[in-house]
Amino acid sequence: MRGFSDHNPAVLTVYFFAVSGIAMFCMHPAVTLISLAGALLLCLLHGGFALKSSLFTLGLFVLLALLNPLFSHSGVTVLFVLNHNPVTLEALIYGVFASCSMLAVLCWFRSFSRLMTRDKLLYVCGRLSPKLALVLSMAMRYVALLGTQAKKITQAQKALGLYREDRLRDHLRVFSILLTWALENGIITADSMAARGYGIGKRTQFAIFRFRRGDVLLLSLSLLCTALTLAGLGALDHSFYPRFTVSVHSPAAVCSLISYGILVLLPVMTEAKEAIRWHCFLSKM
Amino acid sequence: MLMIRNRMLQNVLRWAIPFVLLPALVIAGAVIFGERRHLFISFAAAALSVLLFLAGIERKKTGTRRLVLTAIMTALCIAGRFIPLCKPVTAVIMLTAMYLGSEAGFLTGAMAALLSNFYFGQGPWTAFQMLAWGLIGWIAGAMAEPLKRSRALLLCTGLLAGVLYSMIMDVWTVLWYGEGFDLQLYLAKILASLPHLVLYAVSNFLFLFWLAKPFGEKLERIRIKYGV
Repeated sequence: MRGFSDHNPAVLTVYFFAVSGIAMFCMHPAVTLISLAGALLLCLLHGGFALKSSLFTLGLFVLLALLNPLFSHSGVTVLFVLNHNPVTLEALIYGVFASCSMLAVLCWFRSFSRLMTRDKLLYVCGRLSPKLALVLSMAMRYVALLGTQAKKITQAQKALGLYREDRLRDHLRVFSILLTWALENGIITADSMAARGYGIGKRTQFAIFRFRRGDVLLLSLSLLCTALTLAGLGALDHSFYPRFTVSVHSPAAVCSLISYGILVLLPVMTEAKEAIRWHCFLSKM
Repeated sequence: MLMIRNRMLQNVLRWAIPFVLLPALVIAGAVIFGERRHLFISFAAAALSVLLFLAGIERKKTGTRRLVLTAIMTALCIAGRFIPLCKPVTAVIMLTAMYLGSEAGFLTGAMAALLSNFYFGQGPWTAFQMLAWGLIGWIAGAMAEPLKRSRALLLCTGLLAGVLYSMIMDVWTVLWYGEGFDLQLYLAKILASLPHLVLYAVSNFLFLFWLAKPFGEKLERIRIKYGV
């Protein structure tokens, strides 16, 4: 069984960049709404929402939506006049869609970081650039290592009677000791790496991820949908000012919207397919 | 350069990215994305410049020791971002760049932004953060000698780096929200993020004030002792 998150990380990266890129750079109301719906659905599918952060996001959403009419006074439908400045319906609509678009991108990225765990990031980076992947993985290791060592140093200092929680000077001394240790330790690590032949030949990489048939399918589907969407974007017609109009009349525009809809729903469709297969297997037993 | 082993192709690409690919992307973005073109262009420029810098670093033969030290500094930056209110990230990046060189500075800045955003939230702003911190490192590395000599200059640069960092990130927020670049909105955003701006600048100043001497001594010692 392979859910959406079990696909090859490179494919996932391409997918997320395509889907969130279109959501970010295209302000057509239909595209924005499709993207927002898909992003929320995916968030719901993968773990749902935490109440506190959702409330925060909702507040931000409302704030951003209401912000635009205060700064932009274009548009023909005046709702009311505030401090000699007209507040227009068009500006409000723009604000709502702008904040919808931002919210959608935020949701996409939240799903992205939930699915792309750090081992997957390392895999993608290592494919692109072995040296960067090495720095990344060492940095991650050192974050944990420095924490452990800081605890050890603090305990030693406490045992010597040199450390008190409330004195800044003691904290700084611990930090200073930690830094010296880290630098020396880094040199030892580097020498050890050199002794074992780092930098002599091409760096190979172990990865648990393989490119399977499902990955090829997902990659080609998402590339195809992205290309179709981009090709039809020019035909999508809309304006916020002076009057809010949306029209989807040419076949290219319809095609673009449909392919973006498919792109957005790819993760959900993958999960649904797997769920159905699982169900079939169950009933056979 | 990233993934490509053929040297000639590498050279071709090194010139093609800034002079062919970037203009092409800018023109295509302006045509396809209509009113969002400012956003698209700025994003493409930021992402490509980060890639170009990183590709340059990947090409160069950096010593293993310098590489490991860079990783340690990156880890320190990430750990430093967890300190509430005052963040020593920019200060650490600047000090790293001064003593380990421009490339190490850029790498530390960019990687710290990328990795720490796994804890603080990834988003489209990651590319801008990577570029902003990376460039701070690059510039600090380029003016390493005067910065090492004059403490006043170092502290002023720290203050300026904090202000510029905040203002550059605000440009991005305004571009993302508005149609095009609205100066009024930008000023409002700067006003709204003034507390952050002051906090960045002050924490850079304070951490450089505290850390510059001990940090510098330690890094200098390592450099002399082991010949990094």
